[in-house]
Amino acid sequence: MKIMNEINTDNIKSQMRKGVLEYCILSILNNNDAYASSLIAQLKEAKMIVVEGTLYPLLTRQKNQGLLSYRWEESQQGPPRKYYSITDKGKDLLAEMDSAWEEIVETIAFLRNKK
Amino acid sequence: MKKVVTVGIGRKSFVIDDDAYQRLSIYLARFKEQTGMGKETADVMEDLEERIAELFTEALGSKYQVVNISMVNTIVSQLGMPDGSSMEDFSTPREEASYRPPVKKLYRDSDDKVIGGVCSGLALYLNVDVVIIRILFVVALVVGGTGFWAYVVFWIVAPLAYTAAQKCEMRGIPATAENLRKFSSYR
Repeated sequence: MKIMNEINTDNIKSQMRKGVLEYCILSILNNNDAYASSLIAQLKEAKMIVVEGTLYPLLTRQKNQGLLSYRWEESQQGPPRKYYSITDKGKDLLAEMDSAWEEIVETIAFLRNKK
Repeated sequence: MKKVVTVGIGRKSFVIDDDAYQRLSIYLARFKEQTGMGKETADVMEDLEERIAELFTEALGSKYQVVNISMVNTIVSQLGMPDGSSMEDFSTPREEASYRPPVKKLYRDSDDKVIGGVCSGLALYLNVDVVIIRILFVVALVVGGTGFWAYVVFWIVAPLAYTAAQKCEMRGIPATAENLRKFSSYR
């Protein structure tokens, strides 16, 4: 029974992270343009992703939705690599996500404090 | 001594042990399969390969010159699958599957057909040259017309080998990533 509960908790946590992963990518790129590898490093550090594989389909989808763009940047070793940046459309969406996030946080705080 | 392969990943070339190469091919094929984003899949795979090239370069450093199986295993578990599952989750069913002897089924061959692909399908099933089967059918057609009805029956009974997996079954070879890629229609 205890094991069941643990699995559910993990599952809920991972679902939550998945829900905000796209938001996180846009937030990171809003601060700085980044290589995929640096995006990964930041998301891993923040414990947002466990394996890197989840990120690549998201990047491609956001790119094709016009939220991100990339350019090829020379790297010190080897061939040029993709350097991602946020587009104006991405910034618009990010602004909307920011306010949605605030709302969620407020709602949770309100529900928790209500007696 | 080990057989090595030279591969191009993320626009870089690497020398890789044969067993490590097999492992990596299976991983990439499965990742591609699970991504399932149609045309966009190619973009995803490009990003993934770029990352693999980066990680190989890191792992090789200046000490090694050949990518080995343990490097591939480390990288594959670090990368994982698109849905966030890990390497262990998909390696188990695969190993079970490889113990199963490959099945051979009668299909019609879509790649080598004159009318319905019946003759080439039969030829692959019986392991004989397709020309012999075709001649037999023509002879049977001219002598009494049984060839016509036999052809119609085979056409109805045998399904057309459409997917790469079916094409492997048609030839009685295991559906490994290598073989699947050989018959895959979108390369």
